[in-house]
Amino acid sequence: MKRREFLANLAIASIFLKSPHWLKGQTQSLPDIAWVEGDDPAALTKKALELLGGMKRFISRGDKVIIKPNIGWDRTPELAACTNPEVVRALVELCFEAGAKEVIVTDNSTNAPQRCFPRSGIEAAARAAGAKVLLPNPYRLKKTAIKGVWLKEWEVFVDFLEVDKIINVPIAKHHSLSRLTLGMKNWLGALGGPRNQLHQKLDEAMVDLAAFFKPVLTVMDAYRILLRNGPQGGRLSDVKLQKMVVAGTDPVAVDSIATTFFDLKPEDLPYLPLAKERGLGEINFERLRLEKRKI
Amino acid sequence: MKKEKSKKYRLFQIGRILSQLAFFSLFLYLLFFTRFTGKDTIGHVEIFFHFDPLLGLTTAIASRIIYAAFWLSLITLSLTLLLGRVFCGWVCPFGAVHQFFSYIFKKTRLHKPKKLGQRGLKVKYFILIIVFIAALLSIDLVGFLDPFSFLYRSFITAIIPWFARINHVLLSFVYQIRLFKLGEYWNQFLASLALNPLFQQGFFLGLLFLLAITLNLVRERFWCRLLCPLGALLALVGRWNFLNLKINEDKCIDCHLCTLQCETQANPYPQKDWDRSECVYCFTCASICPTAAIGFNLASKPQPSPAINLSRRRLIFTSLLAAISAPFFKITPAKRRAASRLIRPPGSLAEPQFLQKCVKCGECMKVCPTNGLQPALSEAGPEGIWTPLFNFRIGYCEYYCSLCSQVCPTGAIKELTIEEKINVRIGTAWVDKSRCIPYVIGSPCIVCEEHCPTSPKAIKLVRTETKKPDGTILTPLAPIIDINQCIGCGICENKCPVVDQPAIFVTSVGESRSQSNRFLLELLPE
Repeated sequence: MKRREFLANLAIASIFLKSPHWLKGQTQSLPDIAWVEGDDPAALTKKALELLGGMKRFISRGDKVIIKPNIGWDRTPELAACTNPEVVRALVELCFEAGAKEVIVTDNSTNAPQRCFPRSGIEAAARAAGAKVLLPNPYRLKKTAIKGVWLKEWEVFVDFLEVDKIINVPIAKHHSLSRLTLGMKNWLGALGGPRNQLHQKLDEAMVDLAAFFKPVLTVMDAYRILLRNGPQGGRLSDVKLQKMVVAGTDPVAVDSIATTFFDLKPEDLPYLPLAKERGLGEINFERLRLEKRKI
Repeated sequence: MKKEKSKKYRLFQIGRILSQLAFFSLFLYLLFFTRFTGKDTIGHVEIFFHFDPLLGLTTAIASRIIYAAFWLSLITLSLTLLLGRVFCGWVCPFGAVHQFFSYIFKKTRLHKPKKLGQRGLKVKYFILIIVFIAALLSIDLVGFLDPFSFLYRSFITAIIPWFARINHVLLSFVYQIRLFKLGEYWNQFLASLALNPLFQQGFFLGLLFLLAITLNLVRERFWCRLLCPLGALLALVGRWNFLNLKINEDKCIDCHLCTLQCETQANPYPQKDWDRSECVYCFTCASICPTAAIGFNLASKPQPSPAINLSRRRLIFTSLLAAISAPFFKITPAKRRAASRLIRPPGSLAEPQFLQKCVKCGECMKVCPTNGLQPALSEAGPEGIWTPLFNFRIGYCEYYCSLCSQVCPTGAIKELTIEEKINVRIGTAWVDKSRCIPYVIGSPCIVCEEHCPTSPKAIKLVRTETKKPDGTILTPLAPIIDINQCIGCGICENKCPVVDQPAIFVTSVGESRSQSNRFLLELLPE
C-alpha cells in the first residue's frame, strides 16, 4: 500500500471509527460474519472488519492483543501453507488504530520457526506494522487445564492466557485427517508438548481447544487456499486463488463458510457439528447475520 | 647501560594482539552467521578455510581434483614466502586461542617457561608427512588435525552446545525469579541465533578441545609448536623469508628473557640460533627485551632458516608407517555393503569421493536448521569419523533448504540450488507396520503424511484392516510409502509419535549419489 493510500484509509477509518454509534446506526444489526471477495488481501481484511462494525467492536483502548496466524511451515505465501502476511499486517494495523497497547504475533511452527517466520513473510509484515513477533518460547509453556470433554490438560504458551484479546487468523487448507484445517485446528499452534499425539482424537481435541481459547474475532484467510497435499502443499498447482476473507465473531460459522470453498458442507467435517452441539457456534448459514461484499 | 624497553615493538605487539582479536572475532561472526537468516543463499561464511593451503593441497591430492575456491590460500602462501609464519602469529584464530590461554597460564604461574632448544619441534613435520602420504593414497586425514577443522568442529559440536546449555540454565533461573521481560528478550535473541544444542560425541569432542587447550600448560602454544600440520607446511614455505630478527650485540645483556618468553620456541638468542621457520613474528621478544636490543628488519635477499634435521631414517620410517597404516583407515563394513544409517547431506558426492574431500569441519552441522546433521562415529569407517550424517531422531532434512551444500568448504557436498536439492534423494522411508499406530491399534494418526513435504506426497493414506485384541476389525487410514516420491528427508521419522523407535524410518538405500545402494531397477539413472 502506498503511503498516500494508507493515510487516506486511515483518515476515512478514523472518521468512521470516531463517529458515535447512533450515527452509524447499526449497533443492533451488526453482522456476525463478513464475507468479502476482492483482489487485495489487506483491503479485504479491512473491508471485512469495517462490515463487522470496525475493530473497535473487538479491541478496546489499552488492550494487549495476540494475533494467531498459521506460521506452521517453511513455505512462501504463494504456496498457501501459512496465513497471508498482508492479512496479518492489516489486522495488526487495525488493532493499533483501535487503540491496542501491544500486539503480539506468534505461532508454534511445525518446521523450524526460525525458517517459517521469515519465509512466510509474516515476521516482516507484522513487524512493519509494529507488532511484537515472538518465536515460540519453551520457557513460556505452562501446563494448563483445558477442561475439555476429552482434552483435560495440555501445555499452552502463557502469552495466550495473559493477553486481553485473542484474534485467530487461520488459512483454509486441505488436511488428510480433519479433511480441512481451518480456524479450530489453528489452536494446535498455541500448544507445546507432544502435539502429534492429538491426531488420534483430532476432532474432539479441536473442539475442546476451540472452547478453551475463545477468540474475540476469527479472520479466515481464503485469499489463496490449498486444495491438495495439505497442510503444507508444495506446488502452485495445489493452490487455488479464492480471493476471499471471512471474518466473524462466531468461530464455528467462519469455519463452516470456509468448507464451501472446497465444495464441502459443514456437516462433512465431523468437528463442526460437534462444535455446534457444544454450543460453540452455528453451522447453519440461514441462522447467521451475514454480510457479503465484493470489492 | 640504560634499561629501556622498546616502545615501537610494544606497539607492534599490541597491533598483533588486536589483529588476533579481530580475526578471532571474524571467526565467531562468520560462525554465528552460519545459519538460516531468511534467505536461501548464504554468503561465504566458510571463507576462512579457503585461506588454508593445507586443506586445499591435501584435498586436491586425495581427490585428484583442485577446488578453485582455494586460490585464496595462495595469498597465505605468498605472505608466508615473504614474511614467514605471520599467518600463525597474526591471523590464525586457533593460534589466538592457544596464545590467549598460554598467556593466562603464564600470568597465573600455572606454566613456567623453560629453555627447550629445538626439542619436540619436529613432531609437526612428521604429522604433515603422514597427512600427505595418506592423501596420496586417497585418504583424507587432514581434517583430524587441521587447525581450522579442529577449531570449527570443537566450537560447533561442543562449545556452542555448552553455550546453549548455560543460557538454558540461566534463562530457566530468570523465569523462575519472574523476570519475564528480560527472559523474553533473551530468549528471542537466543532463538534468532538458531544454535544447534545437541551433538552426539559433543562431550568427547569437547574433551579433545580441552586437551588441546590444556597442553598449553606444558608449553606455550603447544599445538602450534608440536602438532599443527598447517604450521609445519607454512614453516617449510617460509624457510627463506625476508623478515629478519636482529639483536644489537652492544645492547644485549645476555638475559635470555627473549628465548624464555618466545611464544613458539624460535630461540631468538643467540641470534645464530634464531629459527625463522618457528618464529610467528609475534614481537614478544622485541617488546619485552629490557634493553630494546632486539629488532626486526626486511632483508633484500631471502634469508635461510637453520636446517631441520629430520634424519633420513625417521623420514623413511614415518613415510612407511603412513603408507602401511593407511589401509587400516579403509577397513569398514560400509565398503562391502552400504551402511543403512549412513545418510549423507543432500548434494554429497558418492561415498569414496566424499571421504576424499570431507575435512570434518562441521560447517554443514552448524548451518543445518534442524540439528539433524551429526558427526559420524563408526558408520563411515575410521577415515569417516566426524564426517556428517543425518540422525533423523534429532532433526530432519528441511525441504526448502540447501544451506549445507553452500557452506561446505571443499565441495564434498556439491553446491545445490533449492530446485536441484528437492530432487535429490538421500534415502528412502519405510513403515514399520508392527509399531505404526493405525496398523497396530487401529486409531487414526497420519502425522507422517501430514509432514511429508513433497508434492504429491510420498506417504499416501490407504484404508487398512487392523484387528483389535478382541478380534473385531477396524479400518483406519494407514500410511503407505510411494517409493517414487520419497526423497528420504526423514521428517516422518522425526515427527512420528512413537518416539523411542519411530514406526517410520529412513535408510540410505536409493540415495541419488550411489550407483550401487539401490533396490529398484527403474530408479537407475537413464
